[in-house]
Amino acid sequence: MYQPTSLLEKWSQENNELVNKCKVGKAAILTSNKTLELAVVYNTCVCFTAQSQFSEAELLLKEATERVLQVTGNNADTSDPLVLWRAGLKSAGNTALHPHVLYLLCLQWALWLAKCQLENIWELQMSSLCELVCDGVGDGSPSEAKGRLSKSPLLVMELKRLTELLQICTSIAQGAEKLNEGRSSEALSDLQAASALSATRALVAYTHLLSGSCLAHMNRPQMALQCYKRALETDSRCVCALYRSMLIYRQLGNTQAEIQALRLLHSTLMLPPATEPVLGGIHPLSPSLLLSSHSLSRLLLVPSALSVLYSLALKCVLSGRVTEGVEHYLDLLAALHSEDQHAVRVDAEVSVLPRMPELYLEAGAALLFTRRPADCMALCNEVISTTLELVPEKVVLEEPDEGIGGDARGLSVEGEDKVAMLLWAAAAYLLQGHCHAHLKDWKQAVTHYTRCINLLVKVHLKNRDFQPQIPAADVNVKHGKDLCALQRMKGLSLAWRGISFTQMDQLREALRDLQLSLQAFPDYTGAGLWCGEVLWRLGRKHEAAACWEKTWSLTTQTSVEKLPLYLQDPQSGPLLDSVELRLRIQELGLT
Amino acid sequence: MEGRCAVETWAQFGFSGGSYKVKILCGFGTDVLICTGTEEIYVFSKRERKITTVLLLPAAVSDLVGNQDKHLIYVACRSGVYRVNLQFLLHRDQSSQADASSSPAELKISQECLVVGADEVSSLLLVGSVLLTLCQRDASWLLTLYKTPKQTASTSHEEFGSFHLPVVSAVDCGAAESNRRPRKGSVLICIHSGDVEASSPSNASAESTVAQDHFHLEPLLFKLLFGVEAALAKSPVILCGLPDGRLCFLPLRLPGSRLRVLHSLEQPVCFVGASVVTETGHAQCLVAAGEQGRVVLIKTDKAGSEGGSAVAAFTEGCVPGPVWCGCMDKSCFYYSTGADLLRLDLSEGSFVRESKERGEETSGTTAAALQSPSSLNVCRVIALAEPARSTAGDVQLLGVSARGQLQRICLPAGRVDEGSSKLPSTQVSRSVRDLLSAIGDVCERASVLKTVIKSKNQFLRLLNHAISISFLLMADTTTDLPIKEKPIRCHFETSWSRLLQKDSLSLVCFLHNSSPFVLERGWTLSITVSPLSYSSSPAGESSSTNFSFPFHDLCPGQTFEASLPIAAAGDASFPMTVSCSLIFSLSSLLGEEEVAASFAGLQSSCISLPLSTLTVDWLHALQLNSPTATHKMATVQPSSAAADSIRTFLSSRQLRCSGRTNRGGESAAKPEPEKYSASVWVSSEIVRDTLKPKKSSNLDTKESIRDPEDLCLSLLERLLSEDTEGVKMGCQGDKIALSTSVVHACGPNGAAMKLTVKEINVGEEESTDKEATIEVQIESSSLAAVCGLHHAVLRRIQTLLQSATEKAASTKNVQILGLRRALQRAEIQQSQISGAFGEVVSTVQRDRLLLTVYQELRQNPLLIV
Repeated sequence: MYQPTSLLEKWSQENNELVNKCKVGKAAILTSNKTLELAVVYNTCVCFTAQSQFSEAELLLKEATERVLQVTGNNADTSDPLVLWRAGLKSAGNTALHPHVLYLLCLQWALWLAKCQLENIWELQMSSLCELVCDGVGDGSPSEAKGRLSKSPLLVMELKRLTELLQICTSIAQGAEKLNEGRSSEALSDLQAASALSATRALVAYTHLLSGSCLAHMNRPQMALQCYKRALETDSRCVCALYRSMLIYRQLGNTQAEIQALRLLHSTLMLPPATEPVLGGIHPLSPSLLLSSHSLSRLLLVPSALSVLYSLALKCVLSGRVTEGVEHYLDLLAALHSEDQHAVRVDAEVSVLPRMPELYLEAGAALLFTRRPADCMALCNEVISTTLELVPEKVVLEEPDEGIGGDARGLSVEGEDKVAMLLWAAAAYLLQGHCHAHLKDWKQAVTHYTRCINLLVKVHLKNRDFQPQIPAADVNVKHGKDLCALQRMKGLSLAWRGISFTQMDQLREALRDLQLSLQAFPDYTGAGLWCGEVLWRLGRKHEAAACWEKTWSLTTQTSVEKLPLYLQDPQSGPLLDSVELRLRIQELGLT
Repeated sequence: MEGRCAVETWAQFGFSGGSYKVKILCGFGTDVLICTGTEEIYVFSKRERKITTVLLLPAAVSDLVGNQDKHLIYVACRSGVYRVNLQFLLHRDQSSQADASSSPAELKISQECLVVGADEVSSLLLVGSVLLTLCQRDASWLLTLYKTPKQTASTSHEEFGSFHLPVVSAVDCGAAESNRRPRKGSVLICIHSGDVEASSPSNASAESTVAQDHFHLEPLLFKLLFGVEAALAKSPVILCGLPDGRLCFLPLRLPGSRLRVLHSLEQPVCFVGASVVTETGHAQCLVAAGEQGRVVLIKTDKAGSEGGSAVAAFTEGCVPGPVWCGCMDKSCFYYSTGADLLRLDLSEGSFVRESKERGEETSGTTAAALQSPSSLNVCRVIALAEPARSTAGDVQLLGVSARGQLQRICLPAGRVDEGSSKLPSTQVSRSVRDLLSAIGDVCERASVLKTVIKSKNQFLRLLNHAISISFLLMADTTTDLPIKEKPIRCHFETSWSRLLQKDSLSLVCFLHNSSPFVLERGWTLSITVSPLSYSSSPAGESSSTNFSFPFHDLCPGQTFEASLPIAAAGDASFPMTVSCSLIFSLSSLLGEEEVAASFAGLQSSCISLPLSTLTVDWLHALQLNSPTATHKMATVQPSSAAADSIRTFLSSRQLRCSGRTNRGGESAAKPEPEKYSASVWVSSEIVRDTLKPKKSSNLDTKESIRDPEDLCLSLLERLLSEDTEGVKMGCQGDKIALSTSVVHACGPNGAAMKLTVKEINVGEEESTDKEATIEVQIESSSLAAVCGLHHAVLRRIQTLLQSATEKAASTKNVQILGLRRALQRAEIQQSQISGAFGEVVSTVQRDRLLLTVYQELRQNPLLIV
């Protein structure tokens, strides 16, 4: 680790001595001396750049150019590096210094790339220069080259390597930049050209990946997938390609493929970090140093393993692979509790991880779906024990303004936390109620639903003339998330208490609860059907029929996906068969 | 107060009493590790009661943490964090015990032990397998997490996360102290939620680390402070106290968590801990103490204001004295101020009891508890650790004194109850005495402050006056009022006096204050007298003289009179300019001694406001001789001046004769070279016109001035006595000289001179209209006198003409011939002058020539019409 520093010091020292020597005997500067000096500058700069000391390297380069101009008898009276370099190249002309000046120019290129000054590279048309460099190095017979090599000072980084690296890195950086500016097709052709360059697998994979991104931008998902696949084939550790393919599958609605991609992504992320290939030791300049542009790093962003795992779990549960989803949920919780888990900064842009209690509740709901009520109750207990103490006697939920949209979080953090706390606790009670209902322990179920309701009535809506009706689902999103959750929870808890009462043959209470539930949340079909059922049982058959008809007429378009898992209708309780109900109506109609 | 603290000195180590962080690390069996901010770490064995080993590190140690299980310590140095395997060292130590039993073994920690190469780490913390370092980088605090290897042999410490918190500008007091203390310590502790006790395996490992910086907090308080998510994730929370006073927290195992500020003490945090441990082992109170004694207690307030739910209550208070170090046991906070070791009882029991006694709210009593720490009478403790309560109830502490002694401090049991139940009468009287003296101090301080305020008010009033006066005077200069109407004006009178047989001219200055302000202390009248035109004297110095007269309350309407000697007879260069100004100096206002003490530069700073500038000319300085007095004066002249006055007298006689021949204004006979004369012609009509308005007031008739003789007289009178520009000639001889139109006088240089005013007719005989002209002729044997007087007369006539209300436009044309003659004369003079300069003549000759020209110029003036 400390070796480069000492090496660097030596070089600097040597270089300084040389420069001083040259300055003393200005008249007698030999070209060989000059080339040595330039070689020392080159080597020093490579080391500086490798240690991210860009400004030092740049200064050194500038001085070197000025020296070249001095030696060739030109005056440099400009500070603009572009002009300086042009003058330097011109003055070096066909002298023996020319290839050395080109070396230094390559380094300047690397510096610009590292500092994301792509326009400079564009200005000087580096790519064409690059060929010149390669020609300059490669020309002449091998024997001549060999003879020269023995004389010329050694370079710390082989020039051919450097130019190749620079070329592909420039292509990648420019591609990312163009993609960012929306010039996808332009970027695509560049990137595809770059993918043919010889470079490390990771870099080639990047070109494929970016090509894919361009194609995805141009609305060609299948071709994009092909590119991502190629990127993965080139470099199996290119997680970003995996992540991007997953996004495309999600966009295409291919759930199975999305789940598969998520699983792969997670397992790849869980792999121990790749040890740097040995090549790194030979290359002082690493590609990551040259690819530091912001737009590129944004394109390469991949969510953390935890949030991938969460997406996977949620996706599984939602797509019906509940058992699998539950396993993932449990893995996730275990991971969060393991000692190895540490607060690593999560990028908000790609992180989808919900807050901790919500995670618990979702896992609980998933457990309930897989008919593991005991486990679900344990998780809910945890949530309740954590939050209940903090739930205040009364919370005020402000009606969000139309203009602000779904920004219910405009409330003070503390206030919002209080509401969230209450909703979490209530949801936990609701889930516990569902668990007991599942176990057919109706009395307990009623108790827990009641607790849930008792919590929910603590919320006071600030706007009095606000209509507590929930319109269409898309408006729900616009309104506060909390408000939506609150209404839905009210509807669910009341309906399910009603259902529980029905099971206990307390039909009057059942009817009251179900009707209240319908008031709070008219969209809930379960409540409507059960309300009809209770009415039927109470002998009010026509009313019941009307109630059923009305319920069926409701276009239930509540997008289940948007709701948290724990607020969905439990598919475990007693069910009413629509066909049977229709039969009953028919019978009623006949009689 | 019967039982005193027992302090037992266990060891003395070479310790310079530096200002670095001193830390005692316990928990390694019977070994205690002490780091003192130097390169050395002392290992003290309690069993052997001596220092067994000294660890020598490459740089000064800033922090020290240990892992008891693995017998590892991590040491933060300036160059990085070193890991030392204690077991290995101690084993080696024990094996070498036999041969070197007396002196402690010295062990050098080599570079191989370096595990984290971070510079300037200020604090360390071990949480399970995670090592945390806190350091300041440029503009942010950096908390870095490293994974410690499971195997002791491996040295790789992988960094896997870091958190930034921007540095805020240091608290003032901190900045002031920064000279004394180059690097301030920070505090890192770990808080666990109480309900995660034994259930989770992570906690077990946390337990194994030295418990000194790990606390278990009551779950509810934990949730209130750090959030539900941290509680659900069973995450330990890192709490760090920064030198800028902030108390920050970081849930360690929560994805996406960041460093957030919990509270700010606004002074460097020097201790953070938790106390008031219940039976379940959960601390109920989080305590943070700042360096200057500010303490915050964070507790759960179950009866919160908001709808009955619990809230975290932050109680801030100040405990006396600086807090050097502190430690906590189950119910008390012990801290050292350097002068004393104090104990704060934080336990709920004492609060409840006190609140019952006083009938106050709990939070109030918490603050009250902060007010009354009990003194333990142990001084100069700079580090505290390992409070232990024995079965008997007394508490033992381990401390390091400023002199480098490791001490075991035993506090007597049962003190708490005694302290708070009943104070003995001696103590009561003492506290009453203390209170009384404190009241006295306050009184004294108040009176001092009062006088300061009073004097400041006085200054402000004076300054206000000064500013008002300045504005008044500045307004004067801009509006250009006549002197008489200026609110603060001064005029002068010249007077001759004889003292010790020597005549001297003195100038009396009258300053009249008709402004509404009093010229108070701090104001000075400054008068500068300087010759109007001075040839550069041989010494090359300007001969101006400065007089200043400080005022002592010159009230409105009063006049200040000051007399300044401007010349003794014979040595004066008239005319002279007298400029007077008012000077206000701040230094005199503030009082000399203060100014001299504090601002040396202020002494010269003052406001100078010019009042007026006037000229004292020859006419003012004339010493009139009545014809009778001339003789007397001549005889009385002292011997030195006698010859001179005789000569003067004689020459004046001669002049009078020659003047008679010169009638008609023609330069007929050339006067003798010794006698010089000059004349001014004024049209008598103008004189009449200009003198009329003045005279008309008392004489009322135009006829009286018709008489040319009268006219001449009044002009002469006017010349001699006119109060021009505020300078007046003092009364002298009751205007005796004015009976005639010829005045003999003695100039300030002692030269006798004659002033004649008479009417002549200018113009050629042949011309029809003759202009009635008044000639003022000056004759003297002294050239200087003639020049001076001529100048003065010209000035007077100038002002006289200027003051004429309306100039009579119908002045007669000046005769063409007269002009021609004047021109001719001018040409001749011109040629003479050029001749004088052109020819090679001796300087004497040239001077003479020039003098002749000058005299001709003076004697044949153009008529002023």
